[in-house]
Amino acid sequence: MAANVITASHLTLAYDQGRKRIIENASFSVRKGEFVFITGPSGSGKSTLLKALYGAIRPLEGTLKVGGLDMGKIRKGKLQELRSHLGIIFQDYRLINEWTVEKNVVLPLIIAGYSMEVQQTQAKRLLRHVKLTEQADRYPLELSGGEQQRVGVARALSKNPFLILADEPTGNLDEYSSNVIWDLLENACDQLGSTVVVVTHQLPTMFNIPYRHFIIESKGIYEVR
Amino acid sequence: MKSVKEHLMFILPLMAILLGVEFVLVFNRVTSNYEEKLRESYTILVVSKSPMSLRRFRRIEPHISSVEAISKERIARQIARGIQNTKTQEILAALPHFYTLHLDRYLSRAAVEKIRKKLLKVPGVKKVETFGENHRAKYNLFLFLKIVFWSFVVLLSLVSFFLIMKQMEVWQLAHRERMRIMEVFGAPMLLRSGVLFRIGITDAIFAVALSGGLFAFLKYYWAPRSGIEILVDRQALLFEPRDLAILAAIAFTLVISAVMSVTVRSGEVRE
Repeated sequence: MAANVITASHLTLAYDQGRKRIIENASFSVRKGEFVFITGPSGSGKSTLLKALYGAIRPLEGTLKVGGLDMGKIRKGKLQELRSHLGIIFQDYRLINEWTVEKNVVLPLIIAGYSMEVQQTQAKRLLRHVKLTEQADRYPLELSGGEQQRVGVARALSKNPFLILADEPTGNLDEYSSNVIWDLLENACDQLGSTVVVVTHQLPTMFNIPYRHFIIESKGIYEVR
Repeated sequence: MKSVKEHLMFILPLMAILLGVEFVLVFNRVTSNYEEKLRESYTILVVSKSPMSLRRFRRIEPHISSVEAISKERIARQIARGIQNTKTQEILAALPHFYTLHLDRYLSRAAVEKIRKKLLKVPGVKKVETFGENHRAKYNLFLFLKIVFWSFVVLLSLVSFFLIMKQMEVWQLAHRERMRIMEVFGAPMLLRSGVLFRIGITDAIFAVALSGGLFAFLKYYWAPRSGIEILVDRQALLFEPRDLAILAAIAFTLVISAVMSVTVRSGEVRE
């Protein structure tokens, strides 16, 4: 049986020093290699949960473990190390606009201190994978939204992360671009064995691999599939 | 063009601070040199019935560094000009001892007055002349210049510091997003602020080179041709190679503090 990549037990997440509770007493787990969708209405706490998974907010109560590390007690150095093994995709892409597409893609490799040669080889491979080879030397603002998100996906995949966290990855995209992103994420899970957690307001119409589906509702997290 | 402006917005206030520091260094060297000259030329005259030695004077006042006895014969000869030789001998016998005292540093008027009172209490000392008015005028002018200069430097540094802080805010806005993205992907602080360090250190090198260059120009080119006596006489004090090291140390300390402040204020990805 595969080990849990994420384990939440009686998890409560809140803002304003506990005054504004977003998720209360939630328990769930995600195993290695699973594809998980988390849906829910706007403001239900989907993004908050994702932030907790990469350590941007700490649990108020209960425990949340990511890759075996307790996110409530994790130290700064360990958190940096954990983040360097995650692939994170944002709805608003969060690319560095002063950097070329190629440099954006290899950001995790730059952080990890890989040689220029490794960076270039990996950039070529990833850009081919997301079909952006021609755009390598361009800047993010010169690309369409769909292309920018493909750069975001390539960046998330550049270090073969054990866990990919995607926050509304297709939220700003048309249907064609959305399908391209879903294909890439399916592939990451199916071919590379990464665990993928996607927060989205709507499930994709076409999805080709098995997945689990959680709903966040009334501050609780419930598995519906 | 925007990039040049951004660099100048940091280089110019940094240069203002460095120039202020260099002015302080030069001013301190010039004033201590001037103080030394004043000290050398300043003397206290003591008239005593009994002979005195340096050891005795130093027991009374440790600031007394040397003593010169004024030749009584010369004084007697001047007084007895045109009088019989026997009279000169009588005058010589009746004359007290005259001494000029040198001090080890240039003291304030109040300190000199204290010395005068101490000396007057010594048995046999009839008169002590401190040339107070002359001393006071020079000392006050000296003090005034020091205060004006220091006020100027402090004001200049304060204004420059605020300009640097303002530029920090611009940097913070310009680089916050990039630093936050890098932090999400696990970049340590030094890597996140790497670009800022590169910009800051480049600007610091420019500021040090320009400030040092300006003073080197003043020392080797302008001062000898200026015709200003105090500068011509003290040309050697205008700029010293070790000043460059001091300026570089200050510039780099400021840059590192500024970059660290921007990095810390950019905030962690925690909410």
